[in-house]
Amino acid sequence: MYYKMDITICIGSSCHLKGSQDIIRILERLVSYHHLEDKVTLKGSFCMGECTSNGVCVDVDGKHFKITPSEADSFFTFEVLKRLEEQEKK
Amino acid sequence: MKMHVDAAYRSLNKYGEELCGDKVMISRTENSTIAVLADGLGSGVKANILSTLTSSIISTMLDEGATVEEAVETIVNTLPVCNVRKLAYSTFSILQISDNGDAYLVEFDNPPCIFIRNGEVQELEPEFRQIAGKNISECRFTVRPGDVLALVSDGIIYAGVGQALNFGWNWDNVSSWLAKATLKEKSAPRLAASLSQAVSELYLDHPGDDSTDLVIRITPKSVVNMLSGPPVNKEDDPKIVHDYITSPGKHIVCGGTSANIVARVLNRKIETSLNYTDPSLPPVGKITGIDLVTEGVLTLSRTVQLLKDYVGHETDPFYFHKLDEQNGAAMIAKMLLENCTHLRLFVGKAINPAHQNPGLPADLSIKMKLLDELCGLLEKMGKTVERLYY
Repeated sequence: MYYKMDITICIGSSCHLKGSQDIIRILERLVSYHHLEDKVTLKGSFCMGECTSNGVCVDVDGKHFKITPSEADSFFTFEVLKRLEEQEKK
Repeated sequence: MKMHVDAAYRSLNKYGEELCGDKVMISRTENSTIAVLADGLGSGVKANILSTLTSSIISTMLDEGATVEEAVETIVNTLPVCNVRKLAYSTFSILQISDNGDAYLVEFDNPPCIFIRNGEVQELEPEFRQIAGKNISECRFTVRPGDVLALVSDGIIYAGVGQALNFGWNWDNVSSWLAKATLKEKSAPRLAASLSQAVSELYLDHPGDDSTDLVIRITPKSVVNMLSGPPVNKEDDPKIVHDYITSPGKHIVCGGTSANIVARVLNRKIETSLNYTDPSLPPVGKITGIDLVTEGVLTLSRTVQLLKDYVGHETDPFYFHKLDEQNGAAMIAKMLLENCTHLRLFVGKAINPAHQNPGLPADLSIKMKLLDELCGLLEKMGKTVERLYY
């Protein structure tokens, strides 16, 4: 089956202040750089209940990650791209 | 039925003058609104003093329950006499609108009050009588929600005289222009600002006289329900949402967690856009059946800021642009200012653990304070605020 990935970025007050807008920008750019617009959908969500931890809460297929804007790049390489590859192999 | 009176005015100073010779006073008493427009003789400092005295005396005396005769007599006897013209003189209009819809209009030498209903100019039938040697016109009528009344100084009626128009704009044209404008613009501040703008254009930006318009709109009752903050006890979630959603009127949800609760209880989906119309504010969301869904404390603090800036600048077009911006805070502010006579606030008092993080800016911990401030501002504007805590 055709695999599609949803990445949901928290834009609640707390995450907003920790830089969700920057993360959204970085991820948007990376998605278009890798031509993944068909496979990856970026979404926003209000508070996802992870406010007390450091970093912005980002949800990939139900799994929560906490990332800061400087980690967004490596998050994309090691989580998003890797996951896509694995799914494609299946 | 209680009438809600939305009043706003805007003055243009005569070109080159720092002070305006027209003065408007709007006061709200327990069961009525009294608006006074006074136009002092001449222009500049002298006119400003005359009109300020006139409007303050009338407004204060009527507030305290004096009759119009007493007020007029007091003015005639106390105004300083102009050295050049040997006159003590300021024209004035008084409009009192009771909460039950009775209107009482008193005019002395000002252009007649413009009364608009359903986009058409209505005739008023004034009676004349003498008070302290002055010819005063008096009129009693009733108003309905949707009616617009305008008091203008003669600078408006003579707009453009000798410049854009030979004989000025004249009363008939002003009133029919305003009647048409009421079909487009609904709020009093916007009407006052656009009339003033038109006048300024006719004067080619060099007003030949102080020009003041005071627009009063009788607003139909409109309720805005706002839910903010999760309840202290999680079991109360369905209760707060039920109370909120069954309350008639417009609905705003303010707060991410609150939005999640509403969506969960109503079993509807939240859609959140990633469209940052304003980089410093989180984007708005959408829940079917809710008019506006926004993030909480950041948006609210901006809304309060907008309202604070707006007070005192009701008719400055700059602030309309601020209100027309497409960010959550401006949308809330606009709805509260222009589409709201009653605010019902459903407040959950739970403490957000995220907001207790010392690493976050202090303004996050003060949501309750923000809501109190918001209520205070709206009450000052004559709106009724009801608070329900959960």
